Amino acid sequence: MPPHVHPKGTTLRDPSKLFYQTDYNRRLIIASYWVIIVLAVPLWWYTTSIERLSLPASRVHSHAGNQLRFPVHIKLESAQDASLSISLQQLILDRVRTSPQAWKGLDVKVRNPHGVEDLADLYTITPGDGVPLVSQRQLTYPIRSATLPMLADTLASLLVPPTDAHRVAQYSPRYRLAFTLLNEDAAAGKAILGWDISGAISRHLLPIFNALSVLHNFTVESQVQFHAPLAFSPTTVDNCYGLTPEDLTVFVNSAEWSLSSSVSNDPVLHFILFIPSASRRPLQILDANGRPSPSDAFLLPQWGGIVIYNPSAELQSHAQLPSPVLHSVFSTFAGQLLALLGVPSLPLQLQSEASVLTGWQLDALLRRRALENAENAQDTLKSIVKLVDQIENMPVGQDVKGDVQHSLTALDQMYTSVSTSLNETLHQSAHALTLASRAFFNPGMLALLYFPAEHKYAVYTPLFASALIPLIAAAAREFRAWRSQRREAGIQ
Amino acid sequence: MLPCPRRTSLYAVPHILLLLILSSVLCIHGTTPSHEEIVGDFFNKNGNADGGTSDHTNNWAVLVCASRYWFNYRHMANALGMYRTVKRLGIPDSNIILMLADDVACNARNKFPGSVYAEPGRVLDLYGENIEVDYRGYEVTVENFIRVLTGRMEPSVPRSKRLLTDASSNVFVYMTGHGGNEFLKFQDNEEISAFDIADAFEQMWQKRRYNEIFFMIDTCQANTMYSKFYSPNILATGSSKLDQSSYSYENDNDIGVSVIDRYTHYVLEFMERVNKTSHATMKDLFDSYDPVKISSDPGVRADLFTRPLDEVRLTDFFGGVARVEVGTSPSSHPLPGSESDGDVAGDADEETRSAQRARTHVPIQMPEELRGPEVKGGRTGWRAWCGLALLGALVGWVGWSST
Repeated sequence: MPPHVHPKGTTLRDPSKLFYQTDYNRRLIIASYWVIIVLAVPLWWYTTSIERLSLPASRVHSHAGNQLRFPVHIKLESAQDASLSISLQQLILDRVRTSPQAWKGLDVKVRNPHGVEDLADLYTITPGDGVPLVSQRQLTYPIRSATLPMLADTLASLLVPPTDAHRVAQYSPRYRLAFTLLNEDAAAGKAILGWDISGAISRHLLPIFNALSVLHNFTVESQVQFHAPLAFSPTTVDNCYGLTPEDLTVFVNSAEWSLSSSVSNDPVLHFILFIPSASRRPLQILDANGRPSPSDAFLLPQWGGIVIYNPSAELQSHAQLPSPVLHSVFSTFAGQLLALLGVPSLPLQLQSEASVLTGWQLDALLRRRALENAENAQDTLKSIVKLVDQIENMPVGQDVKGDVQHSLTALDQMYTSVSTSLNETLHQSAHALTLASRAFFNPGMLALLYFPAEHKYAVYTPLFASALIPLIAAAAREFRAWRSQRREAGIQ
Repeated sequence: MLPCPRRTSLYAVPHILLLLILSSVLCIHGTTPSHEEIVGDFFNKNGNADGGTSDHTNNWAVLVCASRYWFNYRHMANALGMYRTVKRLGIPDSNIILMLADDVACNARNKFPGSVYAEPGRVLDLYGENIEVDYRGYEVTVENFIRVLTGRMEPSVPRSKRLLTDASSNVFVYMTGHGGNEFLKFQDNEEISAFDIADAFEQMWQKRRYNEIFFMIDTCQANTMYSKFYSPNILATGSSKLDQSSYSYENDNDIGVSVIDRYTHYVLEFMERVNKTSHATMKDLFDSYDPVKISSDPGVRADLFTRPLDEVRLTDFFGGVARVEVGTSPSSHPLPGSESDGDVAGDADEETRSAQRARTHVPIQMPEELRGPEVKGGRTGWRAWCGLALLGALVGWVGWSST
């Protein structure tokens, strides 16, 4: 619009006659501001409020008290009468009473050979003289009333084997196994330059992978390194170099060894074959008294296993790992892997027919993992509900709600499948845990930051006061003018 | 000696109207009680807890330098000094989350490019050749820090940026930067409050993401930052109490700025005497604090912590793993896949563990002072609203009477 220029000879116009200064237009303008503000309030409210969907809290709490109870049926195949099975049942009940924590979640029933319907997971005890023998889900044991207490103890160590919770890695449906052949210093000569890793894995570890396929999925990676210095110097004892128990705790030189790739977020179990430098052989593990111990392997709980191999003096300058050594190393690795995964060992006095694991061992592991997972999932769900209650500005989106609901459904299915299939129970428990964890770790659940009330006033006052106060003043002034106009109109 | 610039809060928005509010809010601020009295006699407490070795099987460290810019060189040096120490004592890079807001090593003003020194002699290059910064530059935000702690990450976030702890992890959290009463600035841009960290730790506890936490902070009024914690098994220490600044230690004339803060300098000096197998305890570290040398009063909060401090080894938090099981000789199990489960824990072990579990679930008695802000919230709000109303009335009246 061109600037307004007064033609010569005209007087200034009365401002109140300008079209935008008429009472009607002016009030319309002021009112429109207020209309927009009023209309914007719901929008502002909607855009600044946090989406907090309600979680199925009552279902979560009702689940929190539940506990898995696995029915365990044992068939006693005995030529004698039923009194033996009754007294065995009694002996087991005594053991349950003395250590209820260990027998948590187990309902053991000893059945007669007669009147046993075909149950899927049935453990049988067959009479037999000689060395006790375990096979798939069978135990051959001399069944006499005198041997019953021993039998009950054996059953206890088969059904609820003791475990070291600190050693066993936390359950994960997927693990990465990182095998490393570490030469302390290949430049010092007589290093081991390679190993037949794929052969060793298929011979020693594949049977384990197959046996545990219900529980875990394994990814394997391997590497060979030629320079891996220790962070300390081993002590010298007699004719050898020794690692004291304290040295072992700091053996892994994590600052300089790169042991695994970081391609995925799966937990990693490390297995290291350490070849000492030629100038430091033989390197041996010392016991607490400072004497060389017969073992050349040690285990770091939840982390992995380490084997030390001192190549013999007649080894050529650089060589592959000799085959017998490879097999002995990998059978150690296999043992360490089983220990880290929490696979229970068989009682010493028993002989096993199975190549890798017996059904007893696998079932005990499945039961324990399922119990752990169920407990963990229930705890996580409870924590989510509690935290959402406790932290008021934590958003809860549809995906969190969905995951919580699905996790609860998986828990329900787990409880219904407990009497029919152990594999299904474990599968559902793992599923419930995965979903519950995913809900907990949902990136959208990040609570807004805490701001003290003073902060809010300090931020909002300069923003809104400067805009609102003139508006309020204008509206009030206009209202006053309107009222005096009406009064004048009334008088006239 | 460079103190942190004193700031009351983020009220520094230039606006005349604000000054009025500010003055009223400042009056309210002064009443927050100090936490020092509560934690004063920490050594005498917790005598009944079963001490001994820690239950953890892995160690993690989260090291945060929250400030930017060349003149905060010393904060970068603080964090890198801690990084060097935890790494030297055996925490692998994969278990260290290092958040470094500014890269002073590559700053154009750095006369010694690629190096960061924490002492005037410039003997030890903290940047070195083997350093892994996980969050760098603008990635160091309050949000990312909270995400690291709580584990709430997008699936695409790589492993090196995650804190993958579990129920048997001991976590060392170190923070440094410019701060004030219950807040710490991140990059002159945003702030984290003591409440946010306390809530993040509680979320970690709920998901069993730690066994024990050791929280250390070097900033002005640092001790206020741990005053809001309420989750169990947290040991906390800070460089200075409420209304106290933390000071820098030394200048290097060639670098031209202060190179390290006093508190961190003396902690690191103490840590230099500790090696991987050291038996030095937390009590030794806390006893080594000298308020005269540090120029401020370092604080310790141990009321949430269950073990007596003279039994907590420094390597429980600064070191690697402490437990090893020597297995049987491989020749004793020739079969492929045979077990080498050496020793197995008996029932007694099981019982101690369940007892420990029971102990950690003991409800935490919160000191009365910690509940303060909620209680006072109403009154504070009321006063602030009155201030606002007064202001509105004033301006309205001026507008009204001018017509």
